Amino acid sequence: MHIPDGFLSPQTYLPAYALAAGGWAYAARELRRRVDETLLPRLAVLTALAFVLMAVMLPLPGGTSVHASGIGILAVVFGPWLTFAVVSLVLLLQALLLGAGGVTVLPVNALAMGLGGSVAACLGYRLLAPRWERAGLFAAGWLAAVVPAALIAVVLGLQPAIAHTIDGQPLFFPFGLAVTLPAVLVPHVVLGLGEGLLTVLVVSFLRRR
Amino acid sequence: MIAATAIHDPWWLAAGLLVVAVLAGRQAPTIGWRALRAVLFFNLVISVGYAAGALFGQAVSLDYLILINIRVYLLTFLTFTLASRIDILRALRFSRNLTYLVTLVLSQIITFRRLFEDLRLAAESRRLRRLRLRERYLLSAATAVHLFDRAEHDAREIALAMRSRGFFQPDAVDDARGD
Repeated sequence: MHIPDGFLSPQTYLPAYALAAGGWAYAARELRRRVDETLLPRLAVLTALAFVLMAVMLPLPGGTSVHASGIGILAVVFGPWLTFAVVSLVLLLQALLLGAGGVTVLPVNALAMGLGGSVAACLGYRLLAPRWERAGLFAAGWLAAVVPAALIAVVLGLQPAIAHTIDGQPLFFPFGLAVTLPAVLVPHVVLGLGEGLLTVLVVSFLRRR
Repeated sequence: MIAATAIHDPWWLAAGLLVVAVLAGRQAPTIGWRALRAVLFFNLVISVGYAAGALFGQAVSLDYLILINIRVYLLTFLTFTLASRIDILRALRFSRNLTYLVTLVLSQIITFRRLFEDLRLAAESRRLRRLRLRERYLLSAATAVHLFDRAEHDAREIALAMRSRGFFQPDAVDDARGD
């Protein structure tokens, strides 16, 4: 669900950088506080898994892409702040190594996927897991796919209104909310089912070990 | 990069692309091709979607199509050029934790890719007919379990090596300058 470089106006990504910088500072403090010989290898394994899952992406007409992410897994296992840190890292590596996403759009992608997705996943999990553990895991995976997609669709859909010429010609992303919301959300509602299943399988597998 | 998103004249962006290509030096054709492959499919989807608006009577501008495509290509070209000149591990030396996390992640990505390819080739070489759907699911599940086991084992070994060098000591400071 990455937004590619060049489709977001500076009026959008510069404030997002300021917001994300605060989040990255807090996440770095969390990492320092919690890091030990158990957490670091497991974090690395699941981060690499997220990188591999996010590398297989298909572009959508709504201005983003559809792919699995592993964010639900990361959020349930590590919580939202470490997930935000490692998803940001994955997005940076993908921009530098694969040209996917990009450096200017990094904070928006990181806030939507790493923070929005993981907070929604944690809330869904905590709400359901005490009574229905597997349903909680499934909800975490589904929400981790759908919530970032909704956030990204809104940010993209606002671009024609935020940045345009005097005669109304868009300067960045051309489609409004009427196009981006259905085009981005519908595939992710379906993809979320797979993401939910993946979360149930992987977290159950990790707990057995 | 900010300039590339603040300028809306395709000629200036094209000039920027020329400057970046010169900066890339002998790597320019390689980086240019990589950047093209990275943006081509995506830009086609957006451009065709935008141009399709003309079929429904919407105002479609060729200038906009040129502007957005050249800007996206310039930004990706610039990113790859910078990436080819930056050592990411050295750039992250301000934080020990981050440096080791990135080292582990990169090693895991390489492990995942290599193991996946090895297992795929092993499965190819041992079959006489196309696998049924159920067999393919079982193979994928077995591959995933093996990948996890191997990756965790490798990561644990690296972590033990780091511990033996004093990385996880309680008084270890998150400051690479102390190394």
